Amino acid sequence: MEIPYVVTPRKDTGLFNSKIAIWLFLASEVMLFGGFLSAYVFLRLGADYPWPERTLPVLPGLINTFVLIGSSITVVFAWASLKLRDWRKFQLFMGITVGCAMIFMVLKGIEYNAKLHHQALKLKDYSVVEGHLGVESEDGKPVLNHKGSTIEENLIFVEASKLTFDTVRFYKPWVEELLAQAEHHHSKVALAADVTAITKVGQSAEIIAKAGEPLSVELLNRLQAVHLAARSHNAANRTEALRAEWVTAKAANPGKKDWQIASGVNIDTAALAPTLLGEISTVPFSVDPPAKLDFHPRDIKAAEGQSRLRDDTVIDGKLLASPMVFHNIDAIDFQHLVMKAKEKGIDPEVAIENSWLMKNSAFVREAWAWHQGEVKKLSAELLKAHGVGKDGKPRYTPTHKELYRIGWKDLAKKAEDDGRTKLSGVDAAKEEFFGPNYKARGDETFPGLSVPREQVGFASKFTPAWNTYYAIYFAITGLHGLHVIGGALVLAYYLFFGKKMYLSDPEWLANRVEIGGLFWHFVDLVWIFVFPILYLM
Amino acid sequence: MADTPEAIKKSVRTYMFVGAILFVGTIVTVLVATVPWLDFGRHGFDAADCILGLTIATFKASLVAFIFMHLNHERKAVYWLFGSGLCMVCSLAGLTALALGDPIIDKFFYSGH
Repeated sequence: MEIPYVVTPRKDTGLFNSKIAIWLFLASEVMLFGGFLSAYVFLRLGADYPWPERTLPVLPGLINTFVLIGSSITVVFAWASLKLRDWRKFQLFMGITVGCAMIFMVLKGIEYNAKLHHQALKLKDYSVVEGHLGVESEDGKPVLNHKGSTIEENLIFVEASKLTFDTVRFYKPWVEELLAQAEHHHSKVALAADVTAITKVGQSAEIIAKAGEPLSVELLNRLQAVHLAARSHNAANRTEALRAEWVTAKAANPGKKDWQIASGVNIDTAALAPTLLGEISTVPFSVDPPAKLDFHPRDIKAAEGQSRLRDDTVIDGKLLASPMVFHNIDAIDFQHLVMKAKEKGIDPEVAIENSWLMKNSAFVREAWAWHQGEVKKLSAELLKAHGVGKDGKPRYTPTHKELYRIGWKDLAKKAEDDGRTKLSGVDAAKEEFFGPNYKARGDETFPGLSVPREQVGFASKFTPAWNTYYAIYFAITGLHGLHVIGGALVLAYYLFFGKKMYLSDPEWLANRVEIGGLFWHFVDLVWIFVFPILYLM
Repeated sequence: MADTPEAIKKSVRTYMFVGAILFVGTIVTVLVATVPWLDFGRHGFDAADCILGLTIATFKASLVAFIFMHLNHERKAVYWLFGSGLCMVCSLAGLTALALGDPIIDKFFYSGH
């Protein structure tokens, strides 16, 4: 069967079918990305924290822009080659286009990888430190956990002597994880006492599980089944009793509204008690000998003596020192602290001087003193270049970011001023692309820092969890990346499987390539806005 | 849109020229954002930089749309379709602007620090 209007245009629209379809699709895409960019503006203007201006490395974004523009040119050349019936040239240009798409995604992957491994920490006083965490080590060797992998120094340690599980909410993978950790430390986790419950009305309590029975998911499942059966039975009994109470109350108060008699309708709990079964809402296990268990900070609400996991498992035991240890810090940021200080009417300089970082890190104090000198130099330069305004004040002053953030480039410059390593050539270019080079510059430029757990406000890698900027950054660039992949697949299909169509009807293939090319140009068009908005503003 | 071989050959030169403008436009955008003596408006990022950056981006996007996507030679139906999408985007942006009318504003953020 011949499909109409794949080569010749329709009379009513003047367009062939797929062209109408692609423009409809692109119109919806304009709305989709327009919505995201509006969301970006909304989030930026409404942010309750200093927006990370020009925070992404420009070089990868710039290269990707060139790559996409280049591919936009080659895809239109590929179409023109088909129109001129030159299959070889079509193959060449389409091959370059698909290659550009792959380069774009590789660069994007490198950029994402750097973000997902870069740690940020907001202290309780709102000062921010960025860098890379270390791993637990003893005698210079990394300590391995029960899985045989290194332990990142951002875990909370508890010397657990007792674990109490919520029989409904317990999370199976965590139970298995706790068991594995206890085994790794040669500790046994077993029921602390007999678990007894009434399982049949009118009978006495029976032993469901005996003291000493080892912890297992199966055991918890068994206890959960007894608990849920009892809870269901008891709920039905209570409802039935309440219904009976209502019937009695209504009969005793004819003509009265429900709300008038509601306060007098109560279940006779004493009478009901013998009909109820035993619920087992929690079940305690002893850890013998007490074991040093580690937890991700997001999973535990740590407290001295008794901590609680998100699934309501209670851990009795001593809270051990669990500092967050950066092996290298590459940025010190007081912008948020200053913002909070201003809100409270506190002098920013005083707030910075009183911050935990300034009081506890000689390096931060040194870096801050150097930074103050740099800010003075910049202020003098701006004054010299632009003079003063009508009010007698300098027309241009350093930005909030320049005043209160010491980034990795600043720390590198400080080190160079101090006579340490100066990178050049390929190393400098690599640093522009991948971020601070700890190895080349050394620990003196990017030193370590140990932050006590009680000072940790919020910590995260540079993921959507860190702030709304990264949330919208990943949303927009991720969605755009998916479009790149989708577009490249379509174009690659024409490249590798288009020959047959080219031989039978070259114009049809040219039309198809035009449609794929339109989508590809749109992908480029979106990036033309995304690049300056996310990377340069 | 070019359809004859001669017209297509002629268009190829246009595409190369437009591509060169896009590359140059990108470099200009980056320079304006990163080189201090090309910084317009207040020192650092401000409304002037935003307007300039988006103006260059819009110019580049227009070139892509009109030349590479052949919007300069398209049928009315395409203008209606794409135009309606753009109108929707403007409406969304308008909604954002309306939100700025919220009386509860943190002045600190709108004063440019």
